[in-house]
Amino acid sequence: MKPRKIKDGIYWVGAVDWDRRMFDDLIPLPDGTSYNAYLVQGSEKTALVDTVDPAMSQVLLGRLSRLNLERIDYVIANHAEQDHSGALPQILEKYPQAQVVCTPKCKGMLADMGLVAKDRFLTVKDGATLSLGDRTLEFIYAPWVHWPETMLTYLQEAKILFSCDFLGSHLATTDLYVTDEGQVCEAAKRYYAEIMTPFRKIIQRNLKKIQGYEISLIAPSHGPIYGRPEFILEAYHDWVFGEPKNIVVLPYISMHGSTRQMVYYLLEALVERGVTVKLFNLAVTDIGELAISLVDAATIVIGSPTVLTGAHPNVVYAAYLANALRPKAKFVSIVGSYGWGGKMVQQLAGLISNLKVEILDPVVVKGYPKDEDFEALDRLAAAIAEKHQALDLQP
Amino acid sequence: MEKWECIVCGYIYDPQEGDPDSGIAPGTPFAEIPADWVCPDCGVGKDMFEKVE
Repeated sequence: MKPRKIKDGIYWVGAVDWDRRMFDDLIPLPDGTSYNAYLVQGSEKTALVDTVDPAMSQVLLGRLSRLNLERIDYVIANHAEQDHSGALPQILEKYPQAQVVCTPKCKGMLADMGLVAKDRFLTVKDGATLSLGDRTLEFIYAPWVHWPETMLTYLQEAKILFSCDFLGSHLATTDLYVTDEGQVCEAAKRYYAEIMTPFRKIIQRNLKKIQGYEISLIAPSHGPIYGRPEFILEAYHDWVFGEPKNIVVLPYISMHGSTRQMVYYLLEALVERGVTVKLFNLAVTDIGELAISLVDAATIVIGSPTVLTGAHPNVVYAAYLANALRPKAKFVSIVGSYGWGGKMVQQLAGLISNLKVEILDPVVVKGYPKDEDFEALDRLAAAIAEKHQALDLQP
Repeated sequence: MEKWECIVCGYIYDPQEGDPDSGIAPGTPFAEIPADWVCPDCGVGKDMFEKVE
């Protein structure tokens, strides 16, 4: 367990979690993750930027011990969440002089979680600096990426932005720096999709705020370091500022095949009209893949059978998540079927009230779809294609 | 009168309705809401609101 050198006196001292497959018991992690902590030594003082998940605190302590530090003066807590602050108690015990540097809001949260005693805090204002001697840390408030207390830390002389969760990716790798941009882009997009999407407008502000900084490296708290910062900044720019694309996301469940017939028919009708479709059978879908597709989609069509008078529970779950994520889709419709009755459409419509969308006429059939139902699906496909063309949406 | 949206949670402040639970009477324009008022749905301050175009 050795530290990895970034520059003289600047080290990565984090932990790679190759085995983890679930975060918050909610988010799948197909590629594992890492909890990045960084040590910055100045001529006078030494700072640790973030810690690691408490389950891996020994890894962090082991790497630090190899540096034979006399003391750590400051532990920068950019974000109170446990996967970055959970090892604070062990660090503060091992390095008794260390003060925890954070926003006042973060102080409150760390105290609420019982991680830090009240006399160990040093709270900082937005834009404040902290001298380590020949190195200077600057703190940049960045609320809602993805909690209200979050800040970023900028190392002025080396031009390194320690961006915490902002711009990060869940990816276990031995690469200290990004080597495969395609792989990291996918992992970072999944990360953005799952936890950042609802805060798109605030992320726009945060991106504008860091535009004024000259940045040579972005060192996030999950995933590899960006040696080419513009790669991830441009990707985020597209995700938060960009118009939705000419894409329909089609999550569905089918119990006896009727809804499946409908969604496959609709898929082909859309493809014929030049629209890209992303189909998800919710019985077997990684919910993160669905979230990724919602980042760019202009239209969501939900497919559901009727069970116990309402939508299938997997569909309810997906609709609830989409409503909470508030993606930039502009149009929504519902297709599906029932055997004898129910209120599937009304129920689903009620679940997506956060989405600022135009609702296109749903197509719901009794039993299996017949000629007139397929005609209704053709009309729905034509309406979607027309709406997308009118907005000149790009692929 | 202008509506304002909480960019954290999507809550819309409609001046016609006000926010009576927090003591904001119907008819109160957003600008006249006290500075310590917070979003009734998610608790963030007025600086997290943007005018609805």
